[in-house]
Amino acid sequence: MKYQELFPVPVEWVQETDEQMAQTVSQWAEAEVKAGRLEHREDYDTLLEPAMRKLMVDLGLGSMLMPDGSGGGGMTTPDAAVTAVVCLELAGYADTGIGFVCANTLALQSSFAIEPNVEAAVLEETAPLFCSDGLNLAGLVLPGYGAGKDHGAFLGMEYQASCKNTSDQELHAGAEVEVTGTSVRPQCCGANGSLFGIVCGLDGAPALAIVPSTAEGLKASEPFLKTGLAPSINADLYLDGAGGTLVFRGEERTLGLLSWYYMACAAVCAGSLLASYEILKEWGDTRVIKGKGQVFKENPLTAALMGEVAGRCGAIRILVFSLARMLARPDLYGPAGSPHIFATATSVFKQASRGAMLGIDNAMELMASAGYATEWNLERYWRDVKTIETYVVPETCASVNMARHYYGLKAL
Amino acid sequence: MRSIDDFTRPLEYLSPLDGYLGEITRAWAEREVMPLRRGFDEDWEDHETIEPAFKSLMGELGFQRFFFPEDMGGFGMGHSDYGGVGGFRVCEEISRADSAMGVAFAVMHWPLLMICKEPHVNRRLCAEFAPMFCQTEEPVFAANAMTEPQGGSDIENLDLLKGSTIQTTATLDGDQWVINGHKLWPTNSGGAAKLFGVVCTTKPGSSDPDDFAFIFCPADLPGVTQGKPYQKAGMAADKNSDIWFDNVRVPVWYRAHGPGLDFLYFKEMVSWGNVLSLAFASGAMLNIFELLKEFCEETTFRGKPLKENDDVAGVLADIARDIEITRIVGYQSARMLDRPDLYGDNWSDEIVAKCRAYKCFACDKAVEISGKALDIMGPRGSDRARDIEKHWRDLKIVQLWLGGKQLAQMEVARWFYECETL
Repeated sequence: MKYQELFPVPVEWVQETDEQMAQTVSQWAEAEVKAGRLEHREDYDTLLEPAMRKLMVDLGLGSMLMPDGSGGGGMTTPDAAVTAVVCLELAGYADTGIGFVCANTLALQSSFAIEPNVEAAVLEETAPLFCSDGLNLAGLVLPGYGAGKDHGAFLGMEYQASCKNTSDQELHAGAEVEVTGTSVRPQCCGANGSLFGIVCGLDGAPALAIVPSTAEGLKASEPFLKTGLAPSINADLYLDGAGGTLVFRGEERTLGLLSWYYMACAAVCAGSLLASYEILKEWGDTRVIKGKGQVFKENPLTAALMGEVAGRCGAIRILVFSLARMLARPDLYGPAGSPHIFATATSVFKQASRGAMLGIDNAMELMASAGYATEWNLERYWRDVKTIETYVVPETCASVNMARHYYGLKAL
Repeated sequence: MRSIDDFTRPLEYLSPLDGYLGEITRAWAEREVMPLRRGFDEDWEDHETIEPAFKSLMGELGFQRFFFPEDMGGFGMGHSDYGGVGGFRVCEEISRADSAMGVAFAVMHWPLLMICKEPHVNRRLCAEFAPMFCQTEEPVFAANAMTEPQGGSDIENLDLLKGSTIQTTATLDGDQWVINGHKLWPTNSGGAAKLFGVVCTTKPGSSDPDDFAFIFCPADLPGVTQGKPYQKAGMAADKNSDIWFDNVRVPVWYRAHGPGLDFLYFKEMVSWGNVLSLAFASGAMLNIFELLKEFCEETTFRGKPLKENDDVAGVLADIARDIEITRIVGYQSARMLDRPDLYGDNWSDEIVAKCRAYKCFACDKAVEISGKALDIMGPRGSDRARDIEKHWRDLKIVQLWLGGKQLAQMEVARWFYECETL
């Protein structure tokens, strides 16, 4: 039985288009990723880059939210949140890192392509990249801890960069800006991305600027090694007045971007956990322990832990789809950038990433050494999900952000 | 300024050699391992950068002679009252730099415990193998060949199965044992080990402890084949692979002790394996502490050093608490191995169960705090350049090995709760 049937979500939220997309991405997962995984492991050139190209360019996931008229998928209404979750869950199921890269691209597009925040000038600027025949990946740069540089702060976190107006005119979406920041850490693709969506400080308020990787004044460090997420070749960025395009200013739009991003990353984590469930199931069905032919899963102790893994799968899936539904229906739940949706998105992401991590951890404990060996594929999900958990938002910041909303904090 | 040496150890238990062993090992680790360890993951198959450090510690400094009797060129720790705490300190210092090296080093000694450790020293076998380890400056590895394909770590489930699931056979043919079987995952396999201690049965399916055999087998004998190392999430310095024994012949006296006693003393190895796992965990945790402290002092949040934020400090406190407790428990458990006159034989069900419990606790804490450290560090946590993520990856297998967590839980429950059917 497929996991979609085993761990149901409210089916009335999933439209026919979503099911078609799911089928397409599912076929991609089997043919382009899983079939080559054992042989090619995490080889970027042989497996990961071609698989991303197929998914994001040929199948159109990388331009799904861009308008028809620009050559995109035309999913420009908030409904696209559910479609995005359907696709990203499957992408994460195939490869967490590919899902994460897609999540960055889709979250960035959501900030200027989804109604009611359609920014024509930004679409015009970015469509040649996202809707082309080439693989053009995007990486978000988000506020986080600081290192003594003063770009201002947002939600207690420091911006990694600041931007300024380069003209005499009032700032508007599509305006040219200059972005400055040192040792800026993108969420992904610092070395293999085509553009970066940088949340930066602008006159004391948050703003989002898009900076292409080819911009003058932008340099990337050598790629650095990291725990997981091989499809993202990451590097730190050095921006010295790099030319970019303003997407928006203000807190609500920033929170909206983060809500979409948290939802997208939560979906990827859910997919990774579901893949781990399947690996554990195969293990539990085929291993024998305690001699005398006792099938692994039939032992009460191991069964109890397997039950916990499955329980997490079901609960996280429902949570992530519920968040998608909230973003899909701003008329019912409020805009994506409202404080309560942002708090919910933070909560769902933390539950999904932590829950997926615990579930995969339990699966590894049950499979012992086999879970740790590359051959069984589980350890890759374990490394990848942990990397997402640490990358997206530091634990401390997420907790305070939730407390700020739910308990009405004033000073933090 | 606080350092890792501020974490408590029971000072009354320490070996007279503790300072000497600790200082030498720490200096070696800081000189020959820490500057290179970030490259170990790429060296998992060839060990070109890893091998020189092993050579220095094991061969040139002679730490591979640890348990052999002095008159055979060894350090004589097999008849010392401080083999446990001394070994703990050395493994802790190695694991502070790289817990995979700690594992490979400890497992090198593991099968030799069967013949070098009082009160069951087998001097004939010691004399046979001492030259291999004590008369060279090259690193020489040994390995325990235990786990098998069909039941994983069932073999270590001694109380319940008593060796009845072992598929590797030892058949007596004149004055030789003929060994046939297939083993998985031994540490130091994959071409590293020169000597195996092979867990066999002399009567397949038997649960009679007399039929459990522990037989030494040099790796270069005809019929011994080692596979290529497995690629893993971490633990690059520890090679694991398949080993096949195909009609391998060894002298009859290569069996460690004989019927009943092999089974008994093998349980002692389980105790030691668990206690030294605490040392691997403790050493890595100490390094996580110092690396995290540095990160939290140089990184700011809300305009002040990360560690000065109450919410972060709360997590840091929990991490320090767990290191403190793990280290104390670790030395206590090592002391229990050193003083069987006070605590019971190393192979007793009580000591086996208690060492399992300590190991479970320490490894759970080690995995937990390494994860918390990564969480605190946010997007910098998964940088290979920060080294904490390496500890996070490496520590997971320390938690999983020796039969996995569930087997450990069963052994603990069996003894403490007197369970009879688990």
